[in-house]
Formats: sequence, C-alpha cells, structure tokens
Amino acid sequence: MSADPSTMTAELRHPPRWWQARSDGARLLHLGGGLVIAMLVLVPFADLSVTSRDPWQELGRMLTGLASPAPGALESPLHALILTIAFALWGTLLGALIGLPLALVYSRSRLLRGICAGLRAVHELFWALLLLQVFGLSAATALAAITIPYAATFAKVYAEILEQLPQAPLKALPWASSRAMRFVYAELPMAWRRMASYTRYRFECGLRASVLLGFVGLPTLGFYLESAFREGRYAEAGALLWIFYLLIATLPWWGHRRVLPVLAIASLWWLGPWPDISPTLLWRFISHDIWPAPLVNASFESLTSGELATGLLQWASHLPDLLPAIGNTLLLGLLGTAGSLLIAMLLWPLASRHVGNRLSQHSTNGLLIFLRTTPELILAFILLLLLGPSLLPAWLALALHNGAIIAFLCARHANQIQLPPSRPQGKFECWLYELNPRVAPGMFALLLYRAETIIRETAILGMLGVVTLGFHIDSSFEYLMFDQAFALLVLTAILNIGVDSLARRLRPSGEISEDSCVR
Amino acid sequence: MTQETPSPLLHLSQDHLGHGAEVVLRDLDIRLLPGERIALLGASGAGKSTLLEALRAALQQRDVAAAWCPQRQGLVPQLSVYHNIFMGRLDQHSRLTNLLNLLRPKPAHWQAVATLCEPLGIAGLMERSVEALSGGQRQRVAIARALYQGHDLFLGDEPVASVDPHQASQLIQLIHARHATSVVALHQRELALTHFTRVIGLGKQADGQGHVLLDVATDGLTPGDLDFLYPAAATRESSDVS
Repeated sequence: MSADPSTMTAELRHPPRWWQARSDGARLLHLGGGLVIAMLVLVPFADLSVTSRDPWQELGRMLTGLASPAPGALESPLHALILTIAFALWGTLLGALIGLPLALVYSRSRLLRGICAGLRAVHELFWALLLLQVFGLSAATALAAITIPYAATFAKVYAEILEQLPQAPLKALPWASSRAMRFVYAELPMAWRRMASYTRYRFECGLRASVLLGFVGLPTLGFYLESAFREGRYAEAGALLWIFYLLIATLPWWGHRRVLPVLAIASLWWLGPWPDISPTLLWRFISHDIWPAPLVNASFESLTSGELATGLLQWASHLPDLLPAIGNTLLLGLLGTAGSLLIAMLLWPLASRHVGNRLSQHSTNGLLIFLRTTPELILAFILLLLLGPSLLPAWLALALHNGAIIAFLCARHANQIQLPPSRPQGKFECWLYELNPRVAPGMFALLLYRAETIIRETAILGMLGVVTLGFHIDSSFEYLMFDQAFALLVLTAILNIGVDSLARRLRPSGEISEDSCVR
Repeated sequence: MTQETPSPLLHLSQDHLGHGAEVVLRDLDIRLLPGERIALLGASGAGKSTLLEALRAALQQRDVAAAWCPQRQGLVPQLSVYHNIFMGRLDQHSRLTNLLNLLRPKPAHWQAVATLCEPLGIAGLMERSVEALSGGQRQRVAIARALYQGHDLFLGDEPVASVDPHQASQLIQLIHARHATSVVALHQRELALTHFTRVIGLGKQADGQGHVLLDVATDGLTPGDLDFLYPAAATRESSDVS
C-alpha cells in the first residue's frame, strides 16, 4: 500500500485526457459539450434579427389581456373545452391501445420501426391538414390526427421502457415462456408505473395537440384562441389561455385514474360531428390527388420512352426552393435541442427538493408549468408578434418549451432519488456528484428523444411564416396542391427519420442498475 | 495495553433504539475506547445496522469524524470509480475544485486515489463506471471511499460481505492498518476472532426483544462460544428475521 508515485505506471500517475475519458458520465459530458459548441458555431448562420418596431407595446397589450381576461365575451367556451378534452382523451387512449402490442415486437421488426418513424415524423397538425381533405372538419379528423402519431410514439417509447428494465427477472423465467407470458409476468409489473406515467404525460401533450387542432379549423379552444390573437382581442385570448392553464393545472384531480373512464364514456356524447365519407372521393384522394401527375398517368411506354422521367423532373422544377428550407429546419432543430439542454440543466435543480429551497421550488415549478403548458406554436406566435419574423422567436419557443418539459421530468426524477445518509454536506456537491450523474442519463435520453420532436415542431412553426419545410407544406395545402404537399410531407418525414436514427445512436444506452446504489 | 483505562471516544447509553415505533434494540450501554477493534455479530435482522447508525449519529453529535462504509454502498452507478472514491472528500475541497474534478481530475488527486486503489486491486478500474463492476469490486470501491476520507475511526456495515474469506481477511487488515479504531459488522465469525479485540453480539432474548447478548474481549474465545448468536435455522430464523 506504500505506493510511491515514482514507481507508478503512467496510467496511475496521470488522469486520462478529457477526450479519452471512458466512463458513461464522460460520454454524456462530451455529447452535451459537443451540442453546445455546435450551437455556438452555427448561431452566426441563423437569421436572429429583431425586426418588429415596437415589441414592448404589443407585449404590454398582451399582458394586459392576460391580466384582465374577459370570459364573458367568449362564444361557446364550454363546448370548445369539452371537445378539446374528448379529442385528447380518445386520441391518447386509442393510441395507447394500438401502441402497446406494437411495442412488443418493435425492437425486432425493422419494418415496423420504419413505419412508426414515418407516422411519428409527421406532426399532428399536418396529419389534420391531410385528413381534413378527406374527412372534413370532423371528429374523425381530430381523433385520427392524434391517434396515428401517438400510436407510433407509444410503440417506440413503451419498447424503450421495456428495453431498460432490469434483465435478471426475465432471465430467471423458464426458457420456453412465450413472449406474451414474459410480458405479463415480468415486464408489465416492472414497467407499469413508468408506462402509466408516460401515458399520462402523453395525455397532457394530447391536450396541447387538441388545442392546436383549432389552428386548422377544428372547433377546439385553439380555434377561438387563434382568431382572438389574430384579431388583437387579447382579453378574450387571455381568458382562453387561463381556461387552458386551469385545465392543465387541475389535471391531477379530474385526470384521476378512476375519473378518466367516466369522462371518456361521457365525452362520447359530445364527440362529433361524424363525417359522411364518400368512398369514391376517398379513393380519388389516395390514388390520385396526392401523387405527382406524371406518376399517376405513368404507363410502361412512358417509362421506357423517358417521358415519365422528364415529366417528373418538370414537376419537381415547380417545387419551391427547398434547400434553404431544409437548412433552416436542421439549423433550427439543432439550435432548439442545444437550447433545450441549457434551459433544462438550468431549471431542474431549482425545482428539485434536494437542491432548491422552498421559494425556488415553487417559483420554478410555476415557470415550468407556464412554459410547458403553453403550446410551442402559441409561444412562438406570441414571440413572433414581439420580435418579428426570424428564427429567433422560433428558437426561443422551442428551447423554452422543450427545455421546460425536460426540466420538469428531471426534477421529478431527482425528487424520487433517496440520497444516501453518507451524502455530501453541501447542496452544490450533492447536485454535482449525487444527483447530476443519476439524472443526466435520463435527461440526455429525453433530450435526444425530444430532438426528433423538436425537428417535427420546426415544421409547424412554418405555419407562422418561419421558412422551414413546414412553411411550404402549409402553403401547398392552402393552394390545394396536394401532390406537392404530400411530397414535402414525405421529405419532412425522411428528414425526421434521419434525425431520429442519429439521436437513437447518441442516446445513452444500458440499463441503469441501482441495486447496490439505492441508498 | 496500558493499565489506566483511556477515556472513551463515545458512551452510548439508551434504553431503546429503532425506526419510528418499531423497537429493534433495548437496554444499550456501550463504551467505545480509542484503539479498540470491535466486531458486531448477530443473525440478520438482529440490529447491527441500527446500532451502527446510532453510533454514527452519536459520533457526529460529538464532532468525532468517522469513516463510514454503509451496507448498501451508496455509490453513484453512473460515475467512474475514481469519482466515487473522490466523493469521500467532497467536503474538504472548494466548489470549484469539485466542479473541475468532474471535467478533469487533478494529477495529485488522481495519484492519491490510485495509491489507495493499488492495494485494493482496483487501480486498473479507476476510469470505469461503477455500474459496470462486479459486486466484489463495488465493495472495494466503497471501502476505498471510506479509506480516502482519512479518519482515525472506521465504521463499516458488512464491508466484506461479498468477497471470499481470504480477501476479506486482507481487506480487514488494510482497514485496520489505516484506522486506529474500528467498529465493523460482520457475518464471518472466524474473522471476528482473528482480527478484532472485542466482540459485541446482538440477538433476541426470551422476551422477543433485541439485546446485546455478548460484549467481551476476543482473547480465548472460540467460534463455538459464538454459536448461540445464530439460532438453529429451521425453528427460529423465520421469526428472527421478521
């Protein structure tokens, strides 16, 4: 034990260089550092100018509206409220029911992963825009717009939760146990709490999505919110925002697991209207309207004569200039992800019981509720009115909204950690050495999961005039150019799948075994 | 051995100890003298951990610093072995040092930890995450963290439970070489007789309450003398554990 430094091997005498460190913590450090450096390098290429003339006056008017809401001026707030809940509840429920069985085969089927990635890659709003052409402004459009991407998301996330379960109970089962029995006896009991809490969280997202569906004309809260904002009736907009905040804040009470089934059945009464679907129109839309004309009219002769190729090229030449849109989408995605990381790292300690004091916990929790409850589109909309059209309001909205979601989940995780009695004395040290290492893998897993969501959200920010791919999709729908809209949707989906697979590769893997490390 | 009794580091006298309403041990009167090597013995559930926690709390009240090696090792699975050991001295460095150490360890700290790790046989693992280690290796990391604290007094709750008897003996020797006084819960009674000066045996009396059943010097004690601390498994074990 009398180890003399001079006789030590070099490895023991010197710590590893920081880029050579191999522990999991060091890998996360490299990942986070890399993201932030990439952000700093790319910021000069983004258009972050403030172009509005008098942002403060507008902000003042908005805050006045929020401070003195006028609920009496609203037309039919109760009906909008019930529809918002019903769409979210049934959309999430159907999504979970479809997603659960898919999760069991998710990690084994490349095809399923591909299909799910494709379905997930299209934002709820764009699903609504697409389905609107077939089902009209109906409950079917709203439900399918939420159910389709959510089923794909549930399949992925449930599968990831199952992947992260401790393997010992599974290996202890008899060899011949079937997949279903393994799931029912070993995986479901272990995963239930995480799956249930994720589903609950997803329902909250569903409420936000349901509000956003109002932006395409479905009569949810968002419909009235958008028109009130656009027409500058800020007192009404304030009232609607307050209704929405109250809805989310009281979720623990009315969203109790015993109340939800009752609510689900009762809300069926209001769910509607149901569309008259004309099969011929539906078929025409699927087989004809959404495809480029040269492809629809293609025949064997046109293929061999090269007519098809020239026709497609000609069709493609009418597309808007996509390179800047793709560049902006990726740039905004990266900036949003790195920004979310910074916001999350800053805010979760303040909201956790081990680090924050009572004041910081309450005020941070209030801020987090505000930021994660307000749909990013509305956040961006407000910031856009304040700062003018550039990437800046979109970046801020993405970073604040997603960062707040991650910070909230991290703080909750941190609050569940029982620190050992031998923990360090100072709060700073506790955060640095006990909490951060335990929370960080989950935080990065969330962040890289959100990276895909962020890319998807950059698209809907296009609806506000930020020139991302979504901007061109929105305007294509507006001009009834369904073939172009659909092609751009597919392009957006491919872009998202690329980002998703990159994020999947970077995501910290490996089960976190806490067995000897719990207390 | 000096003739005059040195003043005790601690005199723990309490009529009951427990968690909340549940009483684990009754009628305690334990003196801890400097230089003693005390082995805590008893069947599982007899109250060894409870007694150690109480000793630790009492020592803390008197500002007597003690190295502490808990049963569940309290390691951070995601951090490297080096960082887990370094955590033993977080309170002795500035915030900035602690922060920078996560990013880039100082050679001096690295060497100090390496010096501790060499005799424990984990020097080659210093960069590895604790979650990648075996149970025995984790136990060594927990011991290294306790050693790194550099106190005179060592409190350990089964610090050698998951290594083989030969290694356990080596680890106890290492712990003793670096601490003047030690109180260690064990379940290998041979170790207690060969490496410790005093044995405190815990168990249940006829009234069903936990008591100190034995508190003697190890001189002349045989393993057979300790048998009564471990009642025959089939009849009593289940009721003892509950």
